[in-house]
This record gives sequence, structure tokens and C-alpha cells, in this order.
Amino acid sequence: MEKYKYLIAGGGVAGATAAETIRGRDSEGSIAIVNEEPYMLYSRVMLSKPNFFLGQIPFESIWLKGKEWYEKNRVVFMGAKKLEKLETGRKLATLSDGTQIEYDKLLLATGVCTREWQVAGADKKGVFYLRTLEDGKKIIEAVKTGKRAIVIGGGFIGFEMADMLHLAGLDVTMVIRENYFWEPLLNEASGRMIEKAMTENGVKILYNLLVNEVLGNEEVKGVLLSNGTRLDCDMIICGIGAECHTDWIKSIGLNVNRGILANEYLETNLPDIWTAGDTAEFKDLILDETVQIGNWVNAREQGRIAAINMTGERKPFKFVSFYTTQGMGVTIAFVGDVRMGPDRIVIQRGSPEINSYGRIIILDKGSRKEVEGATFINRTKEMGSVAKLIESNMDVSNKTKELGDPNFDLKLLLPAI
Amino acid sequence: MANQKEYIRNRADSKIGKIVVDRDLCIGAASCIAVSSTTFELDNENKAIVIGGDAVDDATLIMAAESCPTKAIILFDKEGKQVFPK
Repeated sequence: MEKYKYLIAGGGVAGATAAETIRGRDSEGSIAIVNEEPYMLYSRVMLSKPNFFLGQIPFESIWLKGKEWYEKNRVVFMGAKKLEKLETGRKLATLSDGTQIEYDKLLLATGVCTREWQVAGADKKGVFYLRTLEDGKKIIEAVKTGKRAIVIGGGFIGFEMADMLHLAGLDVTMVIRENYFWEPLLNEASGRMIEKAMTENGVKILYNLLVNEVLGNEEVKGVLLSNGTRLDCDMIICGIGAECHTDWIKSIGLNVNRGILANEYLETNLPDIWTAGDTAEFKDLILDETVQIGNWVNAREQGRIAAINMTGERKPFKFVSFYTTQGMGVTIAFVGDVRMGPDRIVIQRGSPEINSYGRIIILDKGSRKEVEGATFINRTKEMGSVAKLIESNMDVSNKTKELGDPNFDLKLLLPAI
Repeated sequence: MANQKEYIRNRADSKIGKIVVDRDLCIGAASCIAVSSTTFELDNENKAIVIGGDAVDDATLIMAAESCPTKAIILFDKEGKQVFPK
């Protein structure tokens, strides 16, 4: 039986960063990564970027860590294998090919799965999702001959895929269930700015609609919408969110909600098991609630912190998360917690009319007000300053004028370092 | 020549003399900012720019470059030899 001091399930950025961090702190301890995909670390965020899809940057640029790195750092990589069973008492993991591994410390960084589209005919050829490199390769091929594409979902994947398909010369229609782009994380005015940029580029957007059926025999020929309209297409890309398949994990006694539950040290409820990345639903010390965050920057930082804790230190994960994207002449940035609620006030910076619009989200705690998050359309530059304001927990009760002045440099509000 | 922007680093205790950001490769993932917000920020085109070339030590700067999911940050030593990506 194989035995490793550190077993890491999931070789994406959280798992690979954890391995790298562990090796930096424990030069002798054996490390193994079990990864469902056969590939060593690649840039998953590149998968949805138009310049990668359209060959404007070499395909090889997707690789981030090669075989030499794993060898040099003595990290055993087991690709195309999955963790399928855990006996936590005996600290014994069984992989999809039957391999049994004993471990001392285990990190669950297996990511999330794309949510499957529950529509009649969704299994036809020409319906694509985007999670793995194989998914990306299939879309790259389909785009070469595709003429008319439908994109389902109005989030990051939908936005970036629509941009890519449009740049590839396809006729693109988006079908969005909500009233406007990115509802409810953005307000309507921000959503309409994105819509304007997209429609000016020729992308059609249909709101308040669902697909009732995917039409065609074996291959996609079109869709039937919930208002009875038929749209022809030869490919469909679904970006309708992600979910974790956690049933088997639940059965071994790990506490699970939408993701695997963890405290601020990224420890699960079972001894010597940590979690990191998209799959972790963790206690966020800055927001003071339990959240699940799916993005590259967060996953990387969680992999690092989990590894520090796996090697004996006790360091809480404390990090303001952010995400940005761009396309069709518009840039979009989210920082911190952008959800609305009765105790939240929004301070606007700039306006849709000047094509530069931010929303600073303030948590009203009665006696004090703190910056909680922000969204920016064409104002990404302010994201870093807002991240620092969130982290500082500064009382901004008497700073609302400055926060609402689009020409005021937010850096001036930051505490001196 | 790719769309690259160069920033000179003058820190005395540093072996790194130049930071280059490849703006075609940069996708605004902002991982460099997560590692060192005193060195990098995103501009309004969602591209990383250097705001403090001398702000952090070499180890932190290399870590920021390594964190980039598109290898858009390229580091050179004071003799002009590329030190990252290797």
C-alpha cells in the first residue's frame, strides 16, 4: 500500500499551490496529488479567454507547472484518478482505479462541477459546458465550423464565451433567465451598460426566458424558448453556474452544505482533513459569515493557507476576494461581498452616462459604517483601494462624500501603512 | 514586439532590475495584486501596471509573478537576463 504524509485531492491551483507551500516548509514529507483530469497544473482561467480560444496566444501557454516541477519538488502526480472512498478512522483513501493510499494529512481541493442543464435534448451533440481542458478543446473545434451560437446564462462564463464567439465571427444570441445582465449581483444600471456594449458589438440578448427544449436529431439544430419562439443554432454553450457533488463526502461524516464546510483555518470537522478552493465553504473572517467563493485568486490563497496549517502552524485565512473580466470594450470588476440586503447602502461613483460607473456597498452597523464590497464598470483601477478599505474595517460614516465623488482618489482614504 | 510595458527596479538589495508586464497576456485575474498590492494594480483596461517597482523584496516579487495564471509578468536581472518565467 502506498503511504504519503500529505495527500492532496485535486491538482488545480489550490492543490498545486498547497503542494508547493508544503514543500517549502517540509523538505522531507512525502506529497501526492490525485487529480481527476490527466493534466498537470494549467491555467483554468485561460480556458474562457478569447485570445486563448482563437489561437492569438499559443496553446502551450496554458501549462503552468510541467513534469520537471513535480519531479524536482518530489510531488507524486496521479492523473486521471479520483478520490472515491475515505476511511477517516484508518486514514485510508481509495482511488477510482482501486489504489489505496494511507495518509497523515489530507487536503480536499477538488473544485466544483458545472451545473448540468436540465432541459429536454440537452444531451445532443453541440451542447457544451466549460470546466475542464477537454471541454475547452471541444469548444475550440466547434467554433471553427460553427455559424450560429446560443449562450445560456448571464454570468462570467456567458459573458466571456459570448465575446469569444463574437470575435470568432459567429452569430451570437444569449438567453438569460433574469431581467438584466448579472442580476442580482449588479444593479440594473450596471447590467444595462454591459448589455449596451454587447449589443453594439452585434450580440443579441434575450431576457426573462428559458429554453424549453433543445431541437435537432443527434446534433443541435436550435432551441425552443419558453415564449414559444424557435431559434436556430449549431452550438450552445451553457454557463449556468457550478455545484459540488458531495453525497459521498457527506456519507463519511464530513459536514457539507453547498460546499465542504470549514472554519477560518480551512479545517473541516474531521481531524487532519482540510479543504481549499472552489469546493470550500469557509468561515470568512472579513465578512463574518460562511461563504463559498469560486475564483483563481481565492483558490490560490486558500491552497497556501491550508498548506501552512497542514504543516503545523495555525494561520487563519483572511482575504478580500476579487474578480475582474473584460470584453467588447467593457471592463467589469467585483470586490468583496457585493450582495445587497436591508442593512446595506450603495454609494455610486460616476454614472452610466459617462460610461464609468462604480457602486461601493456599505454595511450600516448603526453606530458605524464599513465598506463591504464594490462593483465597477470601466473603473477597475479603484478595485485595489476598495479591497484595502474592506480589509481595514474602517468606519466610513463621515467619508460618504469622498466615496461618492468619482474624481476623488480613494487611495487617500486608506490608513497610512 | 508584443504589447509589453517595462518598469525599471532600482532597489539596492535586489537582483531584479526590470519588471515587464505583457499586456496581451494579462487578463486582469489580479493574482499579482493579491500577493503584492504595493507593487501592482489594475488600470481601467483591466491590465496590471506597476505602481511600486521597489516596494517589495525579490522573494515577494517573484511570488507575485509566479501567481499569474497567464505568465504575463516577466522579470529580468540587472544584466538583462530573464529570471522568470525560467
